[in-house]
Amino acid sequence: MNMVVPLSSLKPGERGVVVDIRGGPNFRSKLVAVGLTPGVTVQVVESYGYGPIILYVGGTRLAVGKGMASRVFVRKL
Amino acid sequence: MAMRVVALAGNPNVGKTTIFNALTGMRQHVGNWPGVTVEKKEGVFEYNGERFLVVDLPGTYSLTAHSIDELVARNFLLNGKPDVVVNIVDATSILRNLFLTMEIFEMGIKNVVIALNKMDLAEKKGIKIDVKKMGEIMGVPVVPMSAKEGIGLRELKDIIHRVSHGEISPAPIAPRYDPEVEREISHISNILSETELSKRYPLRWLAIKLLQRDDEVMKLVLRYLGEEKLREIMTHIGEAEERYGRAMDLILASQKYEFIDNLMHKFIRYMKSEGPSLTDQLDRLLIHPLYGFMTLALVFYVIFKFVFALGLPLQKILGDAFSSFGTWLAPHISSEVLKGLIVDGIISGVGTVLSFFPLVFLLFLSLSILEDVGYMARVAVLMEKLMRKFGLPGKAIIPLILGLGCNVPAVMATRSLDDEKDRLVAMFINPFIPCSARLSVISFITAAFFTSNHALVAVSIYLIAIVVALLSAKFVSSFLVKVEESPFVIELPEYLIPSWKTVLLHSWERSKEFVKKAGTVILVGSLVIWYLSNYPVPMGEGKSYAERIGMFFEPYMRLMGLDWKAAVSLLFGIIAKENVISTYGILYGSEGALVGVMSTLQAYVLAIVTTLYIPCIATIAAIRMESNWKWAALVTFYMITIASMIGIIIWHVGTALGY
Ligand SMILES: Nc1nc2c(ncn2[C@@H]2O[C@H](COP(=O)(O)OP(=O)(O)OP(=O)(O)O)[C@@H](O)[C@H]2O)c(=O)[nH]1
Repeated sequence: MNMVVPLSSLKPGERGVVVDIRGGPNFRSKLVAVGLTPGVTVQVVESYGYGPIILYVGGTRLAVGKGMASRVFVRKL
Repeated sequence: MAMRVVALAGNPNVGKTTIFNALTGMRQHVGNWPGVTVEKKEGVFEYNGERFLVVDLPGTYSLTAHSIDELVARNFLLNGKPDVVVNIVDATSILRNLFLTMEIFEMGIKNVVIALNKMDLAEKKGIKIDVKKMGEIMGVPVVPMSAKEGIGLRELKDIIHRVSHGEISPAPIAPRYDPEVEREISHISNILSETELSKRYPLRWLAIKLLQRDDEVMKLVLRYLGEEKLREIMTHIGEAEERYGRAMDLILASQKYEFIDNLMHKFIRYMKSEGPSLTDQLDRLLIHPLYGFMTLALVFYVIFKFVFALGLPLQKILGDAFSSFGTWLAPHISSEVLKGLIVDGIISGVGTVLSFFPLVFLLFLSLSILEDVGYMARVAVLMEKLMRKFGLPGKAIIPLILGLGCNVPAVMATRSLDDEKDRLVAMFINPFIPCSARLSVISFITAAFFTSNHALVAVSIYLIAIVVALLSAKFVSSFLVKVEESPFVIELPEYLIPSWKTVLLHSWERSKEFVKKAGTVILVGSLVIWYLSNYPVPMGEGKSYAERIGMFFEPYMRLMGLDWKAAVSLLFGIIAKENVISTYGILYGSEGALVGVMSTLQAYVLAIVTTLYIPCIATIAAIRMESNWKWAALVTFYMITIASMIGIIIWHVGTALGY
């Protein structure tokens, strides 16, 4: 089953397709510009209790704050 | 003939600086973009007997109006009329990089050349790019490069030359959206067409920007077409969003990425990559919540040692050399006035300026290595959460730590922060961090006035200073510059061996810039203080201007239990904080005599006030250089206020407690 969950809930190694970003225009444009946009596949590389979550998106490695990641919704693959 | 202008645009970390340096060599000039503290680099290169002016635009991921960097880059592309735009693209992350390329194409700029950099790295990662095909599909010349090894440079110059002469006419491919979005774009374009606005900017670009609710373009429409038209357009966009159930900027972005993705697959192939890369393995250690912090502490320790254990003795040697030169020169000057002016004013002033050179150089060397290796991004990841509590970004920890050695290089280190507002806050609070010169004052006072608990007394002063700095950061970021809670997302680049040429050139340029820009301020400051202490009568009899100024402030100093001599000493401390004690010594006959005339509480207040009261002249010069006069003056005023307040409180509380 393909559930839609916040990106922050993915565990290291898990992948998902971004379906929505909830937040203001500044927030959205910042994510979009680094490649996090609806339709792309992301993979979580590391996620510790403390600090940001580390992802792979389109060949680049990104660190994204947990708060931000919880506003990005993905369909788990 | 006017030089042709070449603009370099690209994402952060694509190798823009490397290419800029390779193109222009030492013929470059660093300044600021008008009105903002975003760095502007310009340089010149020659090809085929013709000179080209290269302008380095800030590295950005897109061209929205949400950040100063992006706005600066975009305004230059729109209004600066560059003859050729070189878009540097990182071959290892084509999808994301071409997003910016598409934004540039969408602006209707024709003369674009793509410099496809880091080809060596792409090859290693198994990314195969058909460069010729890419050029055909993108509609612009594509030059494969490995800037670090100097590969592709000649070809790039050649293409720039040919494009600027019209021998090649690029025809960039502009992104197409799905029919419904295209209808919205034409609808808005229709409203805007035939207006003054459409003569100045490309229609399609304006329409797309409006769909993204771009603040600057909305302001333009308001100015040219009035409120009613703007409202009409925005209502229309609102309705479209209603239909889609999603913000228009997200739709545009997704479709743009989709468009790029479709193009890409025609010229790029990814070979299978094997297992986790070295970077992933290193990151497991370096951004780990426990080991990461341990490594961070170690890295800071090494840098601190490197900059100061090497820099401070060099600073002293240079300073001593200048004062020996002064002593040697003095007997050769017959006029007393001239002797004072040259030896105590000019030579010692120039000595102060130059003595900072090693520190600044070593600092920039360390910072560029950290940056080039890719570690800086990891510092940001580790510290972000903690520093944000005080309104600062993670990387701001670096200037804070460096401040413990010397605030001058520390203030300059705020440059590594990406956001202008963050930079302003970070440099504002830096002078509160006690530098090594203040450590000498603190240790003198604790040793001379306290019979026991020396370390505890010294630590209490450091704690007060650090707490004041952090609270001030919170205050300044909330009220003075209004740092918005900016979402945290950064790229973690591959770890790389630094390119020594770039690193050394960068550090050299920065240190030279410091001497040039901060030099005058420090020199003038030294001359003023020299004049105040020697006229109309040399200091010592209470008749010099310096002493009179001190006496004028006596009632104020009394509030914190100090006398006019403290005011004079603090005045001299502006040149260098260690002067506070020596000036006191002169006024009282000897430094030892201080113990007899001051109580322990008075000495403690003096130590605190010396620590907090004002940035030294070199730090003021550094702050001015990194921001502007107004900001430097505000920092100074703020520090004097805070130091007086704390001095007064401690004096009164201490007295009440019977100390
Ligand atoms: N492997 C490889 N590395 C490169 C190449 N060109 C640049 N680099 C490295 O890429 C990193 C970034 O280079 P810079 O020139 O500082 O990039 P920049 O775009 O100016 O980056 P910002 O200053 O962050 O905007 C450095 O570590 C360079 O050594 C290249 O052709 N191949």
